[in-house]
Amino acid sequence: MKLPAIALSRDKADTLLLLGTAVLVLAPHTLHLPLWVSLLCGATLAWRAAITLRGKRMPPALVLLPVAVAAMAGVQFSYQTLLGKDAGVAMLVLLVAFKMLEMHARRDLFVVIFLCFFLVLTNFFYAQGIGSALLMAASVLLLLATQLSFQFTGAVPPLRTRLAMAGRMLAFAAPIAIVLFVVFPRIHGPLWSMPGDAGGARSGLSEQMAPGQMSNLALSEEPAFRVRFEGRPPVQAQLYWRGPVLDFFDGLTWSRGASRASGRDLHLSVGGESIDYEVTLEPSQSRWVFTLEMPGALPEVPGHALRISPQFELTSTEPLSSRVRYRASSHLEFAFQRGPTLDDAGRWLLLPYGFNPRALAAGRALRQLADPAQRVEAVLKGFREQPFHYTLAPPLLGRHTVDEFLYATRSGFCEHYSGAFVFLMRAAGVPARVVTGYQGGEINPLDGFMTVRQSDAHAWAEVWIAGHGWQRIDPTAAVAPERVQRGLDASVPRPPPFGIEALRGMNPFQGSSNAWMAQLRNAVNAANNGWNQWVLNYTPERQRDVVRELQRMLFGWPFIALLASACCAVLLLRYLRRRGETDPVDALYSAMCKRLAMLGLARAPDEGPSAYAARVADADTLSPESRGAASEFLRRYSAWRYAPPAADPRLKATLKSLLLLVK
Amino acid sequence: MAQAVWNLRGRLRRATGAWLPRAGTLDDGEVILKQRRVFILPTRAGLGFALLLMVLLIGSINYMLGLGFGLTFLALSCALVDMVATNRNLAHLALQQGRVAPVFAGQEAQFELQVFNRTRLARYAVRADFADVREPRHVADIAPGTHAILTLAVPTLQRGWLAPERVKLSTRFPLGLFNAWSYWRPATRALVYPRPEDGAPPLPLDGGGGGKLRAAGHDDFAGVRNYQAGDSPRQLAWRQIARLGSEYGGALVSKHFEGGGGDQLVLDFDALPASLDLDTRLSRMTRWVLDAESRALPYAFRLGALRFDPALGAAHQAACLRALALYGIEDAA
Repeated sequence: MKLPAIALSRDKADTLLLLGTAVLVLAPHTLHLPLWVSLLCGATLAWRAAITLRGKRMPPALVLLPVAVAAMAGVQFSYQTLLGKDAGVAMLVLLVAFKMLEMHARRDLFVVIFLCFFLVLTNFFYAQGIGSALLMAASVLLLLATQLSFQFTGAVPPLRTRLAMAGRMLAFAAPIAIVLFVVFPRIHGPLWSMPGDAGGARSGLSEQMAPGQMSNLALSEEPAFRVRFEGRPPVQAQLYWRGPVLDFFDGLTWSRGASRASGRDLHLSVGGESIDYEVTLEPSQSRWVFTLEMPGALPEVPGHALRISPQFELTSTEPLSSRVRYRASSHLEFAFQRGPTLDDAGRWLLLPYGFNPRALAAGRALRQLADPAQRVEAVLKGFREQPFHYTLAPPLLGRHTVDEFLYATRSGFCEHYSGAFVFLMRAAGVPARVVTGYQGGEINPLDGFMTVRQSDAHAWAEVWIAGHGWQRIDPTAAVAPERVQRGLDASVPRPPPFGIEALRGMNPFQGSSNAWMAQLRNAVNAANNGWNQWVLNYTPERQRDVVRELQRMLFGWPFIALLASACCAVLLLRYLRRRGETDPVDALYSAMCKRLAMLGLARAPDEGPSAYAARVADADTLSPESRGAASEFLRRYSAWRYAPPAADPRLKATLKSLLLLVK
Repeated sequence: MAQAVWNLRGRLRRATGAWLPRAGTLDDGEVILKQRRVFILPTRAGLGFALLLMVLLIGSINYMLGLGFGLTFLALSCALVDMVATNRNLAHLALQQGRVAPVFAGQEAQFELQVFNRTRLARYAVRADFADVREPRHVADIAPGTHAILTLAVPTLQRGWLAPERVKLSTRFPLGLFNAWSYWRPATRALVYPRPEDGAPPLPLDGGGGGKLRAAGHDDFAGVRNYQAGDSPRQLAWRQIARLGSEYGGALVSKHFEGGGGDQLVLDFDALPASLDLDTRLSRMTRWVLDAESRALPYAFRLGALRFDPALGAAHQAACLRALALYGIEDAA
């Protein structure tokens, strides 16, 4: 069926509505698409709008095809691939834009609308906040209104009415959707991995660190893991979650040196109270297993075998592709390799040749301090007292990264501080290494879970001092103590709430003394937290718990009784309403008509009771008394129906007895 | 796969069509489309939407998009709501057959179908046509408390009674993902008069088989009058039609001829030459009845045992034409 396009203003309005919907769906994608894709889409949609408004013809396929091919080439050029998530989204966006210029049949409309639904989904690759959910609701509303608009055949109600119709559908759909969301069986993804998905934007801990090579640290709010403490959680400054240990420095990059042995004998002794907790590790595709420094025993991770390296790095033998939960027990007081000597001390003193001459000289100068602990203290004092400052957007550094950082830029984040500190220590003859992991964590007051996010990733240092073993030193804490004591929030501004830039203005209330503002902030945080817990991380495990809880609630007798009585009430109401609808006298009339029809005297559809009565009175097929009763019935009925209402309380009974006489 | 679904659809359609209003069970009087009478199946677009839902679900699982599940289930729920809404758009409509004007064979019989909406729900895009038509030709919106009249035309070939095919009402409103439909077999029939003979001999003004002809009836132009069903195209006053034009809503007018008169006009079937076949004779009688009416000549009518006294007027004409239409047909009630 061809759309009688363009000639009618109604079709113009519908097409413009479709264009508006497409704009709303495509708009959030401009945040991550290359500029040229956004511009090309904008131009295409504007062209389509101009064609619609001026009633011109659509461009022939001969024009569109080269443009489409060129756009594909552009995607290949921009992303170096046509597969994968980002390139796929770019292709889809272009497809929707071009399809607008190639819409001829009603079927094409559905194609565009369905593609738009899919584009709404792909937006969730990049943002899944509450704002995205609201945008999704608005997009679906518009999509429904558009789809609805194309279904009218006669007069089309105004846009507001159509939006209201779509809104009503959405309102009916939402509760069903919520129930499905809660109970629809979930399985762990991914089902398969597209090329280019792995190693994508997901920021996590890497096994390398190159201070000064990246000028901007991506702060991902994605949780790395969640922790539930059995007792009181330790203070923030004690929360060091140990990850990869980096010991090899090539002048620019710190990386893990070859690990020779597995840690048979770790010489770890622990003291003090043990802290018991349960970690739920988000799937990461890496092998790292995080514990609080230092666990007294190897945790048991179901389904995975764990290894421990001599540097006390916990890894799983297989990549952790699904969420795992494990219990661990740590001690905050510990001594690690407290012997008088270190076996492979040389490994922790290695420095690359020809880099950072000034720092090297400064480190060498520290050797005049006899006690290694004093050398550590001297460097930390330097960080504290000289104008170093903590920033997540430090300037880029050149060849002598440590020199430039220590003597010129003096601004950086944990990587810079720990890297420079370990460099100085090694130059000063103290075995040292960089330890990476997570620091801190945020307790959610709603459920008591502590969430450790990717943005809590941290790097600190360890130095070995004879008789004391490996000591944790966090040079960042010397510069920005609040980073360690209160978490990242305190030291740098957070990304705006819900990921909406316009709400950035709401952030200055951080640290505000105003109680009302603080409350609002708590509410916003709680909402975000609840969103993350219940919508974004509604995992199969969580679903199992919820369903179990629901079952307990639903199959208890109070609920069943409630349900049964509600059903009864509804049925009763319906019955009463139906009774109210048909008059009992009319019901008797229908019964009489049915009876007479069975006797071969069906009422003609256009026959009134009087005419019917006359016909019945003449019918010879009926017995005389039946005939008399029937015509008497009809006469009374007709009188009751058409005469002014004269209350006859016995009418019903009379009619009933007459009805019984007709045989 | 899609083909298989199509085939299944076709089979289902045939099956439901076969068992619902069985041949012979006519819907007498008013029919209310109860939920049970309304069938529903996804349209092609609905199948596409199902595919989209699968893709959305797989994408959500594969990329672990919590909000993606939200979108998937919201879209699915919208489709479910649409299914109910499509059903409700058709259910509880009340159908009544309207009048069916008699027509001459060769013309189209117009079956009137009245669709009442006594609910509080506005109905949009309710499509109606005979069940064997692929694309329904009639569409109506029915506001609450109003009714729509749909006129379904059927070409006629033979005189006699013409019972209409099953009528199918369907709708895809609001989202077009589902098609709901229902059948209705109205207990109505159209009376089809014989086709008026073209080029018939003039009226037998001598009351006999055509001995004493007064051919003047075709020559004495006496003005124009409104077109009446059965007028021959040659009789149309084209010049006047063109002149009146749109002023009179494009009404057709026929030339009116005076002539004849005086003698009694008897239209006697048996007086027609027996060499003509039955239908030609009936056609000629039909033409004569129309001619006599248009010339306002009272005429007596004889058809077999049936004898009407000379008279004039719509009722007389209708009785004569009805007798001609049903001559020799069993079910002459």
